[in-house]
Amino acid sequence: MTDTTPSVTPPKTRHTALVWMTSQSPIVVTVLALVLGFFVGAIIIITTTPAVLDAWRGLFHSWGAPGHAIKVTLDNVGAAYRSMFTGSVFDPSQLWHSITTGKGFDASLTPISETLTYATPLIIVSTGVGIAFQTGIFNIGANGQAVLGGIAGGVAGSMLHMPMILHLPVTLIAGIAGGMVCGVIPGVLKAFTGAHEVIVTIMLNYVVYAFLLFAVLSTAFQRPGQSNDISRTMDPSAQLPPLFGSTSGLRVSYGIFIALAVVLFAWWFLDRSSIGFDFRVTGANPSAARASGISSRTVIVLVFLVSGGLAGLAGVVQAASTTHYVDGGFLIGNAGIGFTAITIALLGRNRPMGILLSSLLFAALGVGGRTMQAATGIPLDLATVIQSIVVLFVATPVLVKEIFRLRAAKTQAVQLATQGWGS
Amino acid sequence: MSIAPAPAETKLATFRPSGRTRVISIIMILIGLFTALAFGLGSVASAHSSLTFTPVNLTAAPWHLGTLTVLTRWTNVILGLIMVALGAEMYLRQPRRGVMGRFGVVAVLFLLALLLWASRAPGPSQVGYVNVTAVLIGSSEVAMVLVFGALSGLMCERSGVVNIAIEGQYIGGAFFGSVIASTTHDFFFAAIVGAVVGGLLGLLLAFLSLRYLVDQIIVGVVIVTMISSLSSYLNLQVLTPFPQYNTGNLAPNLAIPLLSKIPIIGPVFFNQSAFFYLMLVLVGVISFALFKTRYGLHVRAVGEHPHAAATVGINVVRVRYINVVLGGAIAGIGGVAFMASQGQFQPGYTSGLGYIALAAMIFGRWRPSGAVAASVIFGLSVYLSDNLQTYSIPISTEILGMFPYIITIIVVAGLIGRVRAPGADGIPYRHE
Repeated sequence: MTDTTPSVTPPKTRHTALVWMTSQSPIVVTVLALVLGFFVGAIIIITTTPAVLDAWRGLFHSWGAPGHAIKVTLDNVGAAYRSMFTGSVFDPSQLWHSITTGKGFDASLTPISETLTYATPLIIVSTGVGIAFQTGIFNIGANGQAVLGGIAGGVAGSMLHMPMILHLPVTLIAGIAGGMVCGVIPGVLKAFTGAHEVIVTIMLNYVVYAFLLFAVLSTAFQRPGQSNDISRTMDPSAQLPPLFGSTSGLRVSYGIFIALAVVLFAWWFLDRSSIGFDFRVTGANPSAARASGISSRTVIVLVFLVSGGLAGLAGVVQAASTTHYVDGGFLIGNAGIGFTAITIALLGRNRPMGILLSSLLFAALGVGGRTMQAATGIPLDLATVIQSIVVLFVATPVLVKEIFRLRAAKTQAVQLATQGWGS
Repeated sequence: MSIAPAPAETKLATFRPSGRTRVISIIMILIGLFTALAFGLGSVASAHSSLTFTPVNLTAAPWHLGTLTVLTRWTNVILGLIMVALGAEMYLRQPRRGVMGRFGVVAVLFLLALLLWASRAPGPSQVGYVNVTAVLIGSSEVAMVLVFGALSGLMCERSGVVNIAIEGQYIGGAFFGSVIASTTHDFFFAAIVGAVVGGLLGLLLAFLSLRYLVDQIIVGVVIVTMISSLSSYLNLQVLTPFPQYNTGNLAPNLAIPLLSKIPIIGPVFFNQSAFFYLMLVLVGVISFALFKTRYGLHVRAVGEHPHAAATVGINVVRVRYINVVLGGAIAGIGGVAFMASQGQFQPGYTSGLGYIALAAMIFGRWRPSGAVAASVIFGLSVYLSDNLQTYSIPISTEILGMFPYIITIIVVAGLIGRVRAPGADGIPYRHE
């Protein structure tokens, strides 16, 4: 280690306790962005729910109408967000009932278990996307990589037969390999032809969606006796068992430990390993990285291998822990897991810990959105809209501070700046 | 500090003779050999392919051209050899220009050979002929939508902003276009509302990326996610309970007198919806505006070297705002045009056309005319991947569906180093 060490190291954000408390803290911006996101969500509910609109339409018909309109509005918005909370965290009355009587814990813990179940693949895939972001690479292909990982894992889990001690690792590795195969294509193309990863990965997503349909309809992989787009069931020896046993009804599985391990790995990889250091230098300052002898081609291909491998792992964990099969809509619904992962990585500022927390938050939004849809009829897609709005605000901290009249820092270009279409 | 790091060495690299031309020419030769062997020698010697030219709407063009019947095997062998010759010529001469043009010719010949092979008789196909006019009309609808998107991308990128939100602007335009067209039965209003929606999304992109310097690609991707989920939310919340807001809205064809009666060309170019003519006009207007007017010079200066442009008194940020909003409006109209060719709004039915449009823009080298040529090729491949199954060829629908996306990847990967993006494309500008 002589003077070849790059002089430009990526800026470390070390915050003292004091900074966290002030308006300059990223936490404050994140919380305010969430407030804004839910505020815009409320406006969308108000302007599109027929019952609310009807109440306002009758505004001048009677003296009580304005009060009634406001009540209907608050009721609808309140019901939507309340069911989001009770569906994803806990229902206070139910939990209190369980605590006082000691019964029915399964039911009262179901929401949090669902959130953790939903968060498990999100944590893994978002960590991969975050690592790519830190290297200045925009991996929009996580969706395709996760789906291919799920297919590969599904094939290994349902068509190979061996004892669990071998089968589960083989299934997981097959998933990782599937994700890597899909990830290495944009990596190699970017490294050697300069093809912009954004278009290539998005196109590959569509290719993989088509391949998914092809796979689950193919005679080898389709569930025997079925004619629709559903695959064979994975062997029990390839499944990640539920954490509290199969009788409890809580779906959260041992996959959550894989997710936590991935977060730890990402922290070690980015902050402690030398490859991770190369990654971050390349992301922070490509010319400095080149000057210090880091091969940008190698880094690009490696990033896509790591990021794609994690996405593939997420896919196989999803298949092995919840559904135990792959179908034509696997991980694609609701804007797709890949796009959610991008928003999570941005919200978590690409740090493993931030990604863990954001994954839990967005998983809660997704799970709660389902409950909201069932309870109030407001479509689940609202959760994705809120996510996107939150992320737009998180990406624009200065705007958030202006809205809330906080002391604003000078406008700075976001560190990750993808630079046009060239290599 | 303020000067954005211009990728100087990358620019130089494109002028060095590269192995890329070689690689492309080898790919062309391989495609040609594949065509000659699989589609040519792979079909029985007695097989014939028939091309018909009957217009879809006989009242609009009351003529009847005969059927052109060719021997499948030898026609495809000849087509394949032409491709091989083009590739060999390119390999040996290493031309600076026209690489993409040659590649485009090979792509079109390949699609023609594929059609001839698929429709051969005796063969597996129930339909023993290819209606060239119908294929061209079907492709022109897709190509039209792609041209709107490519023009949108071009407007933005010529001024130095990457608009990856075209997909979102399509979706927004299609959704509100369908609602307006259903309620007013007027496609003019629908187009205006689509333009406003697209323009507002462009304004959001411009506001966040120009004022707050947020990464343009991040903003674009998040806008697409937001609009696609918002549209599917509104679809469930509003259009499903009130289907009268999403009724069949096929834009009527406006036949141009006399011209629409010309064989083949007439039905394809002169018997289309108003959106098609608007698209043609826009191509002309934008070409003229970009390359022949003072404003176009400003736009290109801002896109190439914003600091130099600012030095001579051009308001960089204002030019970018105008272009991004106009570009968004064009993509919004493209969304309405897509809706008008499909009949109504469905969530997710743009299926990546916005990104393919961006690839068409790159393939067309950031020029309106090039964008049109590229859109034709992409339009043909999208149309064929949707419709080749009518010839019951031994490739599954799902695999065929990958076709346009794979072509897009090949184009982006194979040609991007040959083309030069506007110098400041995607790089935030800060005025000092």
